[in-house]
Amino acid sequence: MNGILNWVLWLPIIGAVAVLLAPKAKENVIRMITLVTTSVTLLLTVLLYLKFDTSTADMQFVTKIPWITQFHINYHLGIDGITMLMTFLNALLFFICTLSSWTVEKNVKAYFALLLMLQSTVFGVFFALDFFLFYVYWEVMLIPMFFLIGIWGGENREYAAIKFFLYTFFGGVFMLIGMVALYYATGKGPDSFSILALQGGHFVKETITLFGYTLSFEHVFFWFLFLGFAIKVPVFPFHTWLPHAHVQAPTAVSVILAGVLLKMGTYGFLRIAFPIFPQAAVDSSTIIAVLGLISVIYGAFCAMAQDDVKKLVAYSSVSHMGFVMLGLAAMTSQGMNGAVLQMFNHGTSTAMMFLLIGIIYERSHHRWIVKPDGSKGYGGLASQLPKYTTVFIIGMFASMGLPGLSGFISEALIFLGIYPRFTTITVIAVIGLLIGAAYLLWMFKRMFFGEPNPDNHDFDDMNAREVFYMIPLCICVVVFGIFPSPLLNVMKVSVGQLVDLLSKY
Amino acid sequence: MIDQLFGFLDNYMPEVISVVLMMSLLVAESAVKDEHAPRVKIHFFTQAVLAVVLICLFGNLGAKPVHIFHNAVTIDPFSTLVKIIMTIGTMGAIFISQSSKDIYSNLKSEFMVMSVGVLIGGMLLASANNMLTLYLGIEILSILSYVMSSFKREDSTSAEAGMKYALYGGLSAGVALFGISHMYGALGSIQFLEMMEKIPTLQGMQLTTVMMGSVLFFVGLGYKISAFPFHMWTPDVYQGSPIPVTSFFAIVPKMAGLAALIRVSNVFFADGSVLSVSWVGLMMVIAAMTMTVGNVTAIGQNSVKRLLAFSSIGHVGMMILGVVVANEVGTRAILFYGITYLFMTLIAFYITSHLSDMYGSDGYDVFRGLIYKHPLMAVIMVGVLFSLAGLPPFSGFVAKFNIFNIIIEKKYYGIAIVAAINSVIALYYYLKLAKTMIFGQADGEERVLGFTPANQAVIAFLFIPVLFLGIFWEKVMTIAGNATIYIK
Repeated sequence: MNGILNWVLWLPIIGAVAVLLAPKAKENVIRMITLVTTSVTLLLTVLLYLKFDTSTADMQFVTKIPWITQFHINYHLGIDGITMLMTFLNALLFFICTLSSWTVEKNVKAYFALLLMLQSTVFGVFFALDFFLFYVYWEVMLIPMFFLIGIWGGENREYAAIKFFLYTFFGGVFMLIGMVALYYATGKGPDSFSILALQGGHFVKETITLFGYTLSFEHVFFWFLFLGFAIKVPVFPFHTWLPHAHVQAPTAVSVILAGVLLKMGTYGFLRIAFPIFPQAAVDSSTIIAVLGLISVIYGAFCAMAQDDVKKLVAYSSVSHMGFVMLGLAAMTSQGMNGAVLQMFNHGTSTAMMFLLIGIIYERSHHRWIVKPDGSKGYGGLASQLPKYTTVFIIGMFASMGLPGLSGFISEALIFLGIYPRFTTITVIAVIGLLIGAAYLLWMFKRMFFGEPNPDNHDFDDMNAREVFYMIPLCICVVVFGIFPSPLLNVMKVSVGQLVDLLSKY
Repeated sequence: MIDQLFGFLDNYMPEVISVVLMMSLLVAESAVKDEHAPRVKIHFFTQAVLAVVLICLFGNLGAKPVHIFHNAVTIDPFSTLVKIIMTIGTMGAIFISQSSKDIYSNLKSEFMVMSVGVLIGGMLLASANNMLTLYLGIEILSILSYVMSSFKREDSTSAEAGMKYALYGGLSAGVALFGISHMYGALGSIQFLEMMEKIPTLQGMQLTTVMMGSVLFFVGLGYKISAFPFHMWTPDVYQGSPIPVTSFFAIVPKMAGLAALIRVSNVFFADGSVLSVSWVGLMMVIAAMTMTVGNVTAIGQNSVKRLLAFSSIGHVGMMILGVVVANEVGTRAILFYGITYLFMTLIAFYITSHLSDMYGSDGYDVFRGLIYKHPLMAVIMVGVLFSLAGLPPFSGFVAKFNIFNIIIEKKYYGIAIVAAINSVIALYYYLKLAKTMIFGQADGEERVLGFTPANQAVIAFLFIPVLFLGIFWEKVMTIAGNATIYIK
């Protein structure tokens, strides 16, 4: 079983090569290759889940091959409970995105090849246990994203693609400095790039001199890494790339972006920043909580002000990822569990929202709730599109965090976890939930109730393909809303280990 | 006697062959009757001989270091590796010159003569073991470069480029000589080893004199590698010169200058030397300014050639950071950087050259929608741009990683932050060009004539190291690491 991660990681690349070799005119063959690849990958991750030992926090399915021996860099893969959830999410969303991309007609071959490459790099980020390898995947991921947004995106795609790229790269280079500094702080030993060996707070007492000041190594480089991860999450004030990227990206890419890529940021905190620099993490928890809170409230207000439904959901992601940051800042068992659960649940619910917006966009070729000229963009969809409306309601309520659906449990856990530490922040953050409910319901009212917009009378309801790829997501948000233990059981030991470590500081 | 003579010739063979090649090219050119005849045979001959030079150099790579001509010239693995980079660069530039319209057909073999001449100067510079040889190297390299930059006789910008280059270059060489004389005055020798041994015994005024001398000397080298504040000639000369010449300038004289700078730094400012502290400070400021000025100015350029020129200044800034750490690790980082930069530069100029020949311009416009006209070329060019920006999995990333590695090892975090921000600025203008090629719509579907299958094959071949050195870089790092400097 040890090689299985290699298969999960490289299968999409093999699929991408197959897509590139396929004749350009045979678009359906290309789509089928992609679908087969992503389905097999999904099956492999299900197999991983079944074989996964939930009783241990150790890394499982580990593969370690020396890569650059001069620098003690290894090709080192492994997963724990937190990664397991992200792996499954990644496999599931790419499978769904393949189906939702069926209607892409521009340059099909390049599109699906890039999509598969993207999947592989995201797996790489989650699996990597070597910091260098992690960094390589982290940066390589930008390349397919750049093209996916820039070629298949909306009108302002070039600007969005470049902004996304530059922002993430900016954080990335600081992460690079932090990574190399860690390498020297450990004395260039064989474990210098091993994320697992770096964990445990070895650097508490070291100091460095920066621009003439003597500073704590731990704090300085924690913030270097923080910058890299926070931009990806994105935490206020580093969020400005996100609305552009989301609005311009094609549907599937928005789904991936919100569903998995943002989680790479919070995953970076869980896997790298917090366990390597626990003292700095504990010392900075108030700042993280405040930034998380600002993201929650500010993101929600921004969402409320949007007339473009996709932008609305994009800002709601800023708000929801703010909850994850709050959970992380809590550094308690419930908060952390809630944060990881919210990462998964936000992945499924927001993916639903973006897919649904994609479906309506295909029919109307716009995304305005209220058009810039003041006229109605949609209206009365509920009476026209019953299937669509049903799924939309599920997705929206899951996103809102209504009890019985997935978002509720994770948000409740986060609040339970953070309340004892930051009571005021918790109280204010709850307002974020209210605003969230308000803008979602208001959006729903304007889109689905009232007089149908005469422009929209010829819309078809969801077809079989669209219903088919929505089913798994609906199941996820409903089942895990009532019965979250399959997710919690997988991750709780791993999360517990991190909480134990942090509690010592 | 004869034994001795041929004994050193063994290692000196590359230089000897190059000189013979240059002579025979002069003869061959005079034998061409029709002025406009393509110099195909001469081209093949040159490339073949340069390939022999390359083989000799590879043979020298593992050999024991030797010092010849009364220790005036040293042939150590370091200089050999630099020579290999320069020779490949020369071969690449000559190859581009063959198909480029920028070089008039009756000047093609002159271009070969000149570039081989510059190569010889560069080899001397890389191997210099005393100040006089070093100065000779600079001069051989420079004088021929001045001519090369004004190759487009009828073009006024080209004439201006040659003039500018000659004036600035002459001035800088003079200043450098002035600096050398100060050093000689204080140290009483021009031989590197003797100078090195003398430094610890210096005191007060003498130290100041040596330091001042080295700063003046750096002016000369700074011009060659276009380091701030001596970079002003670069964009104009790069712009005015024909593209093959520009690509040649971006590689050969630059590598030679860097090699000399590394060697001199190791003599005077090696770790622990009394002078090293002030030198490190100076180099850091120069490196920071060089990369910042290069990258920031590159953003506003409308011509791709000028963009590449300014970006090369940015890269020199990064490489100077390796000089800050005057030890084996720093040298290794620069050499690796040089190797990767060689291939990236060749490809970038190669593609630019063909497009500008086709459309008579080197603006961004000619790159628009290249992906639809020449998918392979566009993909390779984008790969090269990403590599120049330092993105994995391309070799440029490893080069950047090595530089970060050495400066952070020395705990120079401040300069690391400057370098990091510079990487982001650089990425911006590389993305702008990449965007034009991929996202833009092509005006027409016409094929670019210069991209014959043979040319495409060469470009693709040059791309292999760009791709693979980003993943399998251990071997080349070992070679760069073994390229040690021997001063005698």
